[in-house]
Amino acid sequence: MGVISRLHLWQHGLFLLVLFLVLAPLLFLILGSFSTARLPADFSLSTMGVANYLKVYSDPGTYELFANTVVYVAGSVALGTGLAVSLAWLVERTNMPGKIWVYAGVPMTLAVPGMLQAMAWVLLLSPRIGFINKMLKDLFGPQAPIIDIYSLGGMIFLEGLRLVPTAFLMLVPLMRSMDPTLEEAAAVSGAKPSSSMRKITLRLLAPGLVAVMIYQAMTALEVFEIPGVLGLPAGIYVFSTKIYAIVRSATFMPVYGQANALAMVYLVIAVVTTYLYTRMISRVERYTIITGKGYRPRQMELRKWRLPALGIVFLFLFFSIVLPFLVFLYTSFLPYLQSPSWQALQGMTLKNYRLLAEYGEVGSALTNTVIMVVVTASVTTLLSFLVSLVVVRSNFWGRKLLDQLAFVPHAIPGIVMGIAFFWVFLKLDFLPIYGTIWAISIGFTVNFLSYGTRSMNASLLQIHKELEEAAYVSGAPPWRTMWRIFFPLMLPTLSGIWIWVVLHAVRIAGMPLILYEGPQNQVLAILIWNMWDEGYVGGVAAIGTLLMIALLFLTLAVRYGGFRRHSVQLVGS
Amino acid sequence: MIRIQNLHMRYRTDRGEVRAVRGISLEIKQGQFYTLLGPSGCGKTTTLRSVAGLETPQEGEISIGDDLVFSSYRGISIPPYKRDIGMVFQSYAIWPHMHVFDNVAFPLREMKRRFSRQEIREKVYQALSLVQLRGLEDRPAPFLSGGQQQRLALARALVKEPRVLLLDEPLSNLDAKLREETRFELRELVKRLGITTLYVTHDQLEALTMSDIVAVMDQGRIVQEAPPMEIYQSPRERFVANFIGLTNFLEGRVKKTGQPGEVETSSGALKCILPEGAAVGETVVIVIRPEDIELVSEPSRQDENILEGKVDAVIFMGDTLECQVAVGTKMMRIKLHPSSPVARGETVRLELPAERCRALKS
Repeated sequence: MGVISRLHLWQHGLFLLVLFLVLAPLLFLILGSFSTARLPADFSLSTMGVANYLKVYSDPGTYELFANTVVYVAGSVALGTGLAVSLAWLVERTNMPGKIWVYAGVPMTLAVPGMLQAMAWVLLLSPRIGFINKMLKDLFGPQAPIIDIYSLGGMIFLEGLRLVPTAFLMLVPLMRSMDPTLEEAAAVSGAKPSSSMRKITLRLLAPGLVAVMIYQAMTALEVFEIPGVLGLPAGIYVFSTKIYAIVRSATFMPVYGQANALAMVYLVIAVVTTYLYTRMISRVERYTIITGKGYRPRQMELRKWRLPALGIVFLFLFFSIVLPFLVFLYTSFLPYLQSPSWQALQGMTLKNYRLLAEYGEVGSALTNTVIMVVVTASVTTLLSFLVSLVVVRSNFWGRKLLDQLAFVPHAIPGIVMGIAFFWVFLKLDFLPIYGTIWAISIGFTVNFLSYGTRSMNASLLQIHKELEEAAYVSGAPPWRTMWRIFFPLMLPTLSGIWIWVVLHAVRIAGMPLILYEGPQNQVLAILIWNMWDEGYVGGVAAIGTLLMIALLFLTLAVRYGGFRRHSVQLVGS
Repeated sequence: MIRIQNLHMRYRTDRGEVRAVRGISLEIKQGQFYTLLGPSGCGKTTTLRSVAGLETPQEGEISIGDDLVFSSYRGISIPPYKRDIGMVFQSYAIWPHMHVFDNVAFPLREMKRRFSRQEIREKVYQALSLVQLRGLEDRPAPFLSGGQQQRLALARALVKEPRVLLLDEPLSNLDAKLREETRFELRELVKRLGITTLYVTHDQLEALTMSDIVAVMDQGRIVQEAPPMEIYQSPRERFVANFIGLTNFLEGRVKKTGQPGEVETSSGALKCILPEGAAVGETVVIVIRPEDIELVSEPSRQDENILEGKVDAVIFMGDTLECQVAVGTKMMRIKLHPSSPVARGETVRLELPAERCRALKS
């Protein structure tokens, strides 16, 4: 309609903005990988060459890196999928008691930042100071078998745990939407339960399961915090940590070009995985059989295994959320690190919390974090909304391209995005962005744009145009319709995206660490990382405890607060 | 009350230009129930939406009452929210974030005239009573059944007492039984209120049972506009006869003019009503409804308009017996009383009363 056509100008502006935000970092990443200049600021076309690639790929360490990454990703995906499938199956297809605990508890584990979880497990299982290892030594003497968390195994264990909640949330609807008549049809066709399970149930689940696994692989590949806390001290590198180590190496002059050369391969792997994922998802949609009937799949009788099954669930929740929190809570009250004992409990103080208030950087980091997170969340929400509005509602010529551009960041690991923007801000130094919190904000906004636009697209598609037309013919002018119909209907999505971004921007350390310059752009995640590096465990525990409580409340608010989705689909045709 | 003149509407889509409406003119009198009937894509909804102001046609004029609301010639296009209309959408478009009361009160709160709280409450209650939804004011809108949502949409359209009511396939999302009940209720209601109604549907039964005037549309044009009885009994074009009800078609050439005239078909000569200005030798198609064909027992009273055929299939439909009779190479469908003694394979004689056989130019 007329309103839309007048907006062509801003549509072009938006298109150019997204084009720049997405392509500029990629361009600089590629150019940088060929630059032999020491610093990004010295970059010029005359010093281009393939030296970085030769250096990186002639280094035997790089092949060890590949091997580590493969083992780490495969291991954590196997563990994560195994656990998630078991949990989803237990709640959807068996008569296990206490299901409500799983539905409520598993998503809650998302509230614990990976960095804090890894640190908590270091406090438990570090060879030197770990509470559990110390206990083992006390019991069996200095030759006692200890568990070393600073290892590939440790990384796999923790990342595996961390992959569970998202996979669980993806698998539950998959298992729930399975029409029981498909299995019944196999049964009346003469199939035994075991072969109907194998030939029907598993076959129907297979594409969805593979999609979930690829998604987990993307997550494991991208994540920095777990291999950062557990792998870096032991010199066990995966892609994300190796790139960080090259750029932030304390001992050598950083070689930025080499980081880019490595990041290029990392990027290619991530892009291929993302491509496989989108292919798989379209397969899943073809398999989805929606009958629209409210049915519950048949449930299996667990009999004597009911309580053991629940026990395993509780063990998972204990490892993922309760134990890290308790470890932090306990440590935060200690004057110095010591294993749990009666004596330790008696010596508890509030010293760490007091010191936090005095530690000068905490205040500025907190202010920086609040500003960065609020700006990032607001800008991401607004930008996603505008992009989706053009993609879904307009007939702008570039709307499909715009949609694809907004999806591209989904394939770019945060560390790579950090490196890429690092070059952009240093090279385009007429923009006073480098070294400020705005650098981190911009990086996050681009990274989260794909998530924002995906959920915004889905939500806009659900709002039937007739809902607005009904308001027009009821006498409401366009701006009144926007305010009284469109905005209230979009509010759950807008606030949902906003909070999602807050929850993620506050905890991710990888990209901010690359763009970190000094106290003026230090955010909470970097502060925790630095304090941990300096060995100030008590301070980390105090901040971590407070942060976990805050995130827990925020996550609870998202799930049970006023963000109930209206059943818009009821009126869609 | 509603006047449309020479309306044209083209869409540009990915697959090229679509001419949705091609020169429609119509006039709906005060209090009339006027129905646009046609298959999907015939332009009926586009026409309705143009009256509402939700589409901007390329050419034509539309007036509601004495107000010219759209004129491509004079550059007038009043937006929907300034037109004096109420509309029910196919999807009902009940706002899910509002309660029943707020959905109905919305049009009143958007009116230029400020109503007091008391007035709004009275008007909303009155509208809800009209559609028998009193007592559900505080229910969240998504918690209504399909039939209740449909009636809520109607209450919302009627609450500000517009001069014109626009209905876009309002019954198509209801189940069969409810649809039948609602048909009569709806007509009853708008007739009682005396509101001018423009109704769009693809369901011939709805059109025939509810309307004062039916306009059958095809490919962006009105093919025939007449009261329901006339549309059914004397379709002017093959499309209308085919679209509404079951029909038998017999092609032939005019043998003798006059009333009744005579047409030579592959099954023999038939007396029938000829179209105006038909000439000898012209090709025509004879249209006759299945229920107008009668079974005659031998020996017949006469030989005129009698066809002999073999019963190919007998289908018991409850209130009728539907038979397919092979007459030469032609398959004729007839409707009989369920007690009629016919059996498959039997040879029967069919009488096609001349006054019910209507020849159309083809």
